[in-house]
Parts: sequence; C-alpha cells; structure tokens
Amino acid sequence: MGKRILWVLILLLSFTLVTGVQAADKVYVNGIDANFPPFAYVDKNGNPDGFDVKALDWIANEMGFKVTHKPMDWDGIIPSLMAKKIDIIASGMSITEKRAEQVNFSIPYWKIAQVLVAKNDCGLSVDQILSNGNKIGVQRGTSEAKWMKDNLIKKGKDFSLVEYDSAPLSVEDVVNGRIVAAAMDDAPAKDAARKKPVKIVGGFGMASEDFGYAIRKEDTELLSTIDEGLKRLMASPYWEELIEKYEP
Amino acid sequence: MAHRKTILRIEDMTKRYGSKTVLKNASLSLKEGELKILIGPSGGGKSTLLQCVNFLVKPDKGRIWLDGEEIIHSRKKELYAYRQKVGMIFQDFNLFDHLTALQNVQIALVKVKKKTKEQARTRAINELERVGLGDHIKKYPAQLSGGQKQRVSIARALAMDPKVMLLDEPTSALDPELISEVLDVIINLRLHGMTMIMSTHQIGFASELADELVFLEDGNILETGPPKKMLSDADCERTREFCSKITELYGNSF
Amino acid sequence: MIESLTVLYGALPYLFRGTLVTIALVAGAMGLGLVVGVNLAVGQVYGNRWLRKAIGIYIWFFRGVPLLVLLFLFYFGLFSLLGINLSAFTVAIIVLGLITAAYQSQIFRGAILSLPEGQLKAARALGMSDRKAIVLIILPQALRLSIPGWSNEYSIVLKDSAVAYALGVMEMMARAHFVASRTYEHLPLYFSAGLIFLILTYLGTKGLRVLEEKVRIPGYSR
Repeated sequence: MGKRILWVLILLLSFTLVTGVQAADKVYVNGIDANFPPFAYVDKNGNPDGFDVKALDWIANEMGFKVTHKPMDWDGIIPSLMAKKIDIIASGMSITEKRAEQVNFSIPYWKIAQVLVAKNDCGLSVDQILSNGNKIGVQRGTSEAKWMKDNLIKKGKDFSLVEYDSAPLSVEDVVNGRIVAAAMDDAPAKDAARKKPVKIVGGFGMASEDFGYAIRKEDTELLSTIDEGLKRLMASPYWEELIEKYEP
Repeated sequence: MAHRKTILRIEDMTKRYGSKTVLKNASLSLKEGELKILIGPSGGGKSTLLQCVNFLVKPDKGRIWLDGEEIIHSRKKELYAYRQKVGMIFQDFNLFDHLTALQNVQIALVKVKKKTKEQARTRAINELERVGLGDHIKKYPAQLSGGQKQRVSIARALAMDPKVMLLDEPTSALDPELISEVLDVIINLRLHGMTMIMSTHQIGFASELADELVFLEDGNILETGPPKKMLSDADCERTREFCSKITELYGNSF
Repeated sequence: MIESLTVLYGALPYLFRGTLVTIALVAGAMGLGLVVGVNLAVGQVYGNRWLRKAIGIYIWFFRGVPLLVLLFLFYFGLFSLLGINLSAFTVAIIVLGLITAAYQSQIFRGAILSLPEGQLKAARALGMSDRKAIVLIILPQALRLSIPGWSNEYSIVLKDSAVAYALGVMEMMARAHFVASRTYEHLPLYFSAGLIFLILTYLGTKGLRVLEEKVRIPGYSR
C-alpha cells in the first residue's frame, strides 16, 4: 500500500512539473506592490500601471530587453527576488542599509519624504499627533514602520503603531477615525489627498529616502543595464511626462 | 462412501489472541459431499476455526490442504485463488451495502474471475433464481429481509463454483420465521452434494442432515461422531451435557 | 454612492477573472486533496505500523503549520532548493491540496472505520486482494459517507485560497484589494468579494448535496 501512495505522489509531482515549468526565455519579471499608487497599481482593465511600471517599460524598450510586471505581496517581494521568482523590483522601494545587505540597488531615481496624513478637519500638529498614546497607521514591512519603532517609540514617544497591508487601507482608517494619522511616503499621501478627505500634516523627522530598483546581487549585468537606462530616462522628456501624468 | 476422496484437510490449527488460546491444535478433514457441523458453546472457537480455514483469521500454527495441495497463505496469489474455491457465509450476511443483489453476486465474477459482464450477469441471475430471489435482483441489501439477504450471500458464494462452503451460524441473526427459508436453501445444497462445514445452534437440523457433529469447547475439538451417537450417547461428559441442554432449548426437530 | 457603483461595475470583469482563478485553485486543491487524502486514510487504516506512523507525522505537520508559512516554505524553500521552478499558482494548489489532504484523510478515515468490519471480510472471502476490496467495496461506501464532511472542507479551502496572494497568485481577493487601493472604494469592493465567496460556497455545497442525494444507496437511512 505504501508503494502505491508513493507512486501516486510521484505521478502527481511529475504532472505538475510538466505543466508548471515555464520556458526560460529572456523576459525579465518585475515584481510590484500593486497596492502602491501612484508608483504601482493595476488599472481599470487589470493591467499593471503606475510611475514605476511605465518608467521600466521605457527603459526596457530603450535598452532592448523585455519586461512583464507581476503583482506581489509586499511581505514576500524580497524573498521572491532572492528565489528568482522575479528579477527586479521597480515598485517604490526605498533604498535602506538593511535591504542593501540582501540586494543591489540601482541609482536613486526619486527622492521621497515620509509624511503624516490626517483628516482634513484635524487641527493637531505633528508633535501633537505623535503623543497622548495616539494610534498611528503604517504599512507593514516599510522603512517608515521600522524607523518609527526604532527612533520614536523606543525613545519614549507616547504613541502606538497600527500596521496595515497597504497605505490606502491605513488612510481608510484615518477617515473612519480609528487612527489619528497614517505615516507614509509623500507620493501615495498626495494620491490619497486627491481621493479622500485627508491632508498631509507634514514630515515627522525621518530623513528623506531614495527610491531605487532592487536587483539580485549576482545580476551585475542587469544592474548596469538598468542604471544606464535610468540615466537616459531621467535625461529624456518622457521623464517630465511621467511626473506630470502620475504626480508622485 | 469409503471411496470418496478427501477435499479439505486441516491439521493442528492453533490461534492465540494475546495470552488466550482460542483454538488448540484443531484437526479436521472433509470428504467430498460431506457436511460436518460444528457445535459447542458460544466462544468455543467455532467461528475462529471457520475463519482460519480460509485465512480470514491468520492461524498461528496449522496446515491446510485442498484437493491434496497444501495452501501457503503467505503467497498472495495462491491465497486468493484458494479463497475463490472456498465459499463463506457469515452470520450477519455481509452483503456489499452499496450494490444491488445482482451486483453483489456479479462483482467477484467480473473482478476476480475475470468473466465478461454478460457471462457474470447470466450466472448471477441463475444463482439468484436458484435461491428463489429472481424477483429481487435489482434490490439493495437495505431493501431486503434478513432471510433474503442471507440467500443472496449464498448465491454470491455459489457463483464462484466453490469446492467447499463454510457457513458460520447462517441463521443466528435471523428472526425465527425467516430461518426456514435459509435452511431450505442449505438442505438443497446438501442434496446436490456440496461439501460443507457449518456451525449452528439448530441442533435438530444438525442431527437430521450432518454426516458428523464436531463438538468444540474452549478451542478444543473434544469429540467427533455421527449425530445419533453424539446426541444420545457421547463418549465425552462435556458433550453429553451440552447436547442435552441444547436439545432442551431448541427442540429435537426442525 | 453612484461613484461607488460605477467603480464596482467597472471592476466586475476584473474580479470575475479573479474568481475563475479562485475556482481553479480550489478545484485543483480539492482534487489533489482527494487523491492524497484517500491514500492517507487507507494507509492509516490498513497500513503497517511504520506507514501509519509516517502518515501520522504528515497529518501532524500539515495541520500544525500555518498556511502562510507552508506557502513560503514550499515556494521559496523546498521547490527552489530542488531546483524545480514551479509557478506560484501551481505551488499554491500543491500546498492547499496537501493541507486539505491531511484534513480530508480524517474524514475518509472516519468513514472507513464506520463501515462494518464484515464488508472487508466478505470481499476477501471471495478471493479479492486487499487492493481490490478497498477500491471496489470499501471506498465506494466510505466516499458516499464522506460527502457532508467534504462539503465542509470545500468551504474552508475556498476561504483559505485567498492567502495564495502571498505568492502573487492573482485570485479574487487580491484583485479586490488592488482596485480598492487605486480607487479608495474599499468597502464596496470587500463587500462584493464577500458576496462572491458566499455565492461560491452556496453553489459548491448545493452541488455536493445534489451529488449526495444522487449516489445515496436506496433503502439506506442516514
């Protein structure tokens, strides 16, 4: 009986192998967090869109390679890169020391500030928001979440963090009044302010960060291709078009 | 009589469950067309002996010959072929609940004997008609009475063309008014010369039909003999006691 | 309100494509779970001591480790280490399937054990091998008895399937999330997603009830 079970398992495995293995062609896969407008999201038709998506499309075209964009869970996006499930992360990723231990980053292409978002009728200042045991929302696994824990809470600031799957979800809870404010990059904050009754209160002391594309350490050739592509993109008029269109 | 050949021979059959020995060195042989009936108190080893004969219970010791050939039960192919030649009737019928009467008889013909569906069907209908169930072939076990179920199970065993039949208290689970319809079928088998070992408490039936009664108690075959002698003038004290008690309980006729 | 409905209406085709992914995930996982689960149950009831022990460990493992951990373990760990490049979708089916197999095996095992012992004896007495007896006699009865439990398992796997997004599988729930992030219409979208799950649960359990009635053994009261 045991032998039979083994055979069934082997059969199943080989079946899924045959159907599951993808042909190895030269299409690079870009992992995006599709919950991060305006840098990465899916449009009405379900196609990947956003500042980073269009930027990488341009670079691919310019440098002569193919790229597809694959929505990924942010929590698993670096493991996915390491495990070669994707080849690049162009999705509003801040360059941090911690991440740089695992992956290589391209040249920075966007400077981003971290801000607090609160309801339009909120009269509190940044200092007032980050006190009184207030609840502050933040996306799990982001650099701002880590920074606020290490530099504000551990140093005695009297507020607590509520972690969300995405920045837009934390904005929803700001509107609901469940949390006083949400911390996020200024670009999605602007996006939220356009769509919801919320405003940007201001920065909270975290140094501005640079966005870069993440690439596996061993893929040095891809890294230099991307760097060259980014340089050309930023020097081209299309760069201004992108900024105008997506208002990051 | 004396020239009939031995069909089944059992030698030194022993079965233990833990420290309890439920069958001790039982030996028995069965000639062609013979009916031997196992009697004795419940738990005396009758059922164990019958189930050891076709290895539904694996004996700890003992040898079996069918038609002069020893059966080695560890050889699967041999075991399966042997079991086809030994029909078994259970106390609680054990019909396959998800199959109709017809399918119950058919299934082993197709899947074990590798007959075609058509052959199997014809044979199955014949056997069911023989036990008087020609009108019930499409019914499921749950739609049949106890007596009908037991007759289906007999038809199922007969369809395999067994050389020997083992009947383990075939009427014990039946309501009294249904017993005779099953006994009639068994009598009929007897008249057609089927070789059988049967355990039963129907002592009247046993004394009328059996060639020999075999008295089993505490896993031992204490005495074997013709019914008349066993019932009235047994050698062994325990046999006499049991027989007089059982005759009182169940009467002397059927 | 009007705006929400417009967004919702526009998102429906996208959500429905995700629903198909969800259905495929659940169907694949339940199918794999059925095949593996039946084998586990049979092994656990009829196998020798070592096989039973091994199956016990399998069940303990897949019931004990959280789904998300197993997804990551298989996707980033096991299959990568083996050098097998499986798609996230395939891995999600395998993991969901192996987990539900552990649960399904207990449904089948209970059903097998509830059958009278005599069924197997009668099959053996007719000269059937154990394999034949199990396939022809035991499983057809045990599987019938398992349908209500299986139906329960279906609704659990259906809901668990949303976790597959952790690997980037674009099932229905992930898509609802994406549209919500772009449009800030979280509530209507999650409401719709919930409704789709409810409908799938209803259709699945209803279908299984019809099946149960269809294969019911006449005269058998259960």
